[in-house]
Amino acid sequence: MKRYGDHRIPGRLFVVEGIDGSGKSTQLMLLHQWLKAEGYGVVFSEWNSSPLVKDTTKRGKKKQLLTPATFSLIHATDFADRTERNIIPLLKAGAVVLCDRYIYTAFARDASRGMEPEWIRELYAFAVKPTVAFYFRVPLEVAMKRINDARAGFKYYEAGMDLGLSADPDESFRLFQGRILEQYDRIIPEFGLTVIDATLPIETQQQEMRLMVLAKLTQAKQLRVAP
Amino acid sequence: MKESYGVRLPGLELDDLAGKLIVLEGTDGVGRSTQIRLLKEWLEQQGHAVLDTGLTRSGLVGKGIKRAKEGHTLGRITLTLFYATDFADRLENEIVPALRAGFVVLTDRYIYSLMARSMVRGLDPAWVRNIHRFAPKPDAIFYLRIGVDELIPRAVFTRGFDYWESGMDLYSAEDMYDSFRKYQTALLQKFDELAEEFNFNVIDARPEPRIIFEQLKAGIDRILTPPLARAAVTAPAGTAEAGDEVALEEVPEDRRRRA
Repeated sequence: MKRYGDHRIPGRLFVVEGIDGSGKSTQLMLLHQWLKAEGYGVVFSEWNSSPLVKDTTKRGKKKQLLTPATFSLIHATDFADRTERNIIPLLKAGAVVLCDRYIYTAFARDASRGMEPEWIRELYAFAVKPTVAFYFRVPLEVAMKRINDARAGFKYYEAGMDLGLSADPDESFRLFQGRILEQYDRIIPEFGLTVIDATLPIETQQQEMRLMVLAKLTQAKQLRVAP
Repeated sequence: MKESYGVRLPGLELDDLAGKLIVLEGTDGVGRSTQIRLLKEWLEQQGHAVLDTGLTRSGLVGKGIKRAKEGHTLGRITLTLFYATDFADRLENEIVPALRAGFVVLTDRYIYSLMARSMVRGLDPAWVRNIHRFAPKPDAIFYLRIGVDELIPRAVFTRGFDYWESGMDLYSAEDMYDSFRKYQTALLQKFDELAEEFNFNVIDARPEPRIIFEQLKAGIDRILTPPLARAAVTAPAGTAEAGDEVALEEVPEDRRRRA
């Protein structure tokens, strides 16, 4: 088992992090389109999407069976399955892999649910260290407005309703995401995340992202697939 | 009074648990389930309420693991974490509530089996140990020990060789027999290491079940004061447990002195 930072594989791994409503998924989608157009072999992997584990997670969430411990462990299981069966083999083959949320999401969320930070970090020690991890920084109010504009209400676990912080979903979301932002503030320097100001125009953020990604692809010409 | 192997789970208090946690460990086909059945009956006759439990039976994950294993597609890290999720679910929803209610919890395997399997599959031992550090330290761990030569006929003449129990995911080029022998040999060796590290009570599993049962009864007797006598005890519990690092073995010793 290789540990975080020990993998020596030819591919490139770019991940996006941030709270819900930070716009990170939009940015990753735009990056994906560009890389495809440039002719790179690029694959997208989403948090919490392993076909083997997803059903269990879904059921646990729907029936509200998850405690902080099982929430943490089932997401680690899902991530492990994607790492073992997708991310590592793809990177070995030289692909560009894009992840919407990565281990830092678990560090921030699980610690906000009261799990011990050191335990969570060791739990994910098998993860590949990203080439660049982008963090989209956004004030809580802006994020909440974006989510409310896009869809009706917050989901149970997303608002941290399992923690009983408040019976009001809006208030619970505010309190829980506030805790998550505090955790991210600790994680950013600890793991060297690249901070992007997510209040800037979408095009400006994307431009910044592409420049940084490009710098990491220059020594990776072999990744290009024939057009 | 219980403590974990170093990690506290939010909302899961362990210091007010009145029951006893008794673990039966041992490799596949060693006769654990027979002994659990006998012990449960015996303990109930003695007036103890008993919960018997085992691995992969949790409401949350049990089915998911079973389905995933049928496809044989789980990676080793994933499998380790899937089992740990299952264990955490059982711990929080079954084991700890039963211990809080004063039950004797008899568990067919515990974190040691989970750790042994993962370590034999080449995973980093420090990583494997860390994952399971939220488990409460049991009051007693009985390890039914057997050699691979005694184990093979039992497997052949009862259930046959199972894909996972033969470690076919590890040695896929071998036939089931060779694979079973290799895998179980490695597993037994790992159990011997864990037995030392975690102070297992080692019981020779070769004799007939009745003899093993007697040994288990004697071992369990030592950690259980009869319910009536317990009510008469007035000394505050836990006074002898001064140090943080109380070895598992010392718990029965301590109880014996007080009895």
